[in-house]
Amino acid sequence: MFNILAASGPQIAIAPEELFQIGDVMITNSMLYGWVVAVFMIVFLFIISRKITVMGSKGFFPRAVEALTEFIYDFVVNSLGSRERARKYAPFFTALFFFALINNWMGLLPIVGHGITYGEAPLLRPFTADFNGTLSMALVAMVLVQVFAIRESGAVGHIRHFFAGNLLNPLTYVIGLSEVFTEFTRLFSLGLRLFLNVVIGEILIAIFAYLGGIFGFASAVPFTLVEVFVGLLQAYIFVLLTVSYLSMAISHGDDHEEAAVKS
Amino acid sequence: MELFASETINTGVIAKGILVGFGGMGPAIAIGLLGSSYMNAVSRNPESSKFLGQLFVFVGMAELFGLIAFASIFIIS
Repeated sequence: MFNILAASGPQIAIAPEELFQIGDVMITNSMLYGWVVAVFMIVFLFIISRKITVMGSKGFFPRAVEALTEFIYDFVVNSLGSRERARKYAPFFTALFFFALINNWMGLLPIVGHGITYGEAPLLRPFTADFNGTLSMALVAMVLVQVFAIRESGAVGHIRHFFAGNLLNPLTYVIGLSEVFTEFTRLFSLGLRLFLNVVIGEILIAIFAYLGGIFGFASAVPFTLVEVFVGLLQAYIFVLLTVSYLSMAISHGDDHEEAAVKS
Repeated sequence: MELFASETINTGVIAKGILVGFGGMGPAIAIGLLGSSYMNAVSRNPESSKFLGQLFVFVGMAELFGLIAFASIFIIS
């Protein structure tokens, strides 16, 4: 029980583990916790949103949620150039930010991991510590960026954004194809960045809790605090990159008068 | 001679060490350069301290490559 020199190393899993199957669909522990967090997030943010008023919010959570929402909103206004556009698209980015943030932070709770096991596998695993999860988040984000860009500049205009320039020049097609390929690179780098930051934080916490021996509860504390910061930062970077991809996709270099609008 | 022939040396351990060492080197240099140019900018023009958020974004982007190297050591056996 109190083994200072444990025989086995820390239990590290890069991939999520299977819990059970519904039909032919494999249900993994990260999917389960993703659903739990999604339900929690909907209820929590709905209750909080009732408490935010124009006259100023009472309490810690309404103020924090309001400040973060305003932070993302101001940032979207600055990136997209006008308040009309920001009002259309900011709700999506705010939802994305809070989903990543709450998933990152709830993944640090002690109930997650090997504390509670179902069969061999831990019952809960952070949703963002699963590459399928972050890749699907990045896929949703990038597909919606394309949809928003088509809505802003039209289908032909959006395709001309990739294949800009003289259409008789063969170099246009080469550059355009590499631009299309860049979109896929962005998809993978978005998903991989969030996944690796979260999963390596988990591994660091596991390694230092293992190295601490019987003081494992204390030796993992600094890394848990670092992970709180990293979770906020990575959620912000995820949204920031998505917004800048959108602002790159809807700017064609001819709307300088809109960029001059002050927020 | 008989003694050494019976042992197998796991070169994967060496590979893991090299991977973590060199993989961490690049992002460390990148973060150092970012920090130094940020401090340069702030000392020349204190108004540019508002770009701290942007700095963290670039730190996060540079970190990714170190994290990829760290994650790769779990593939090597």
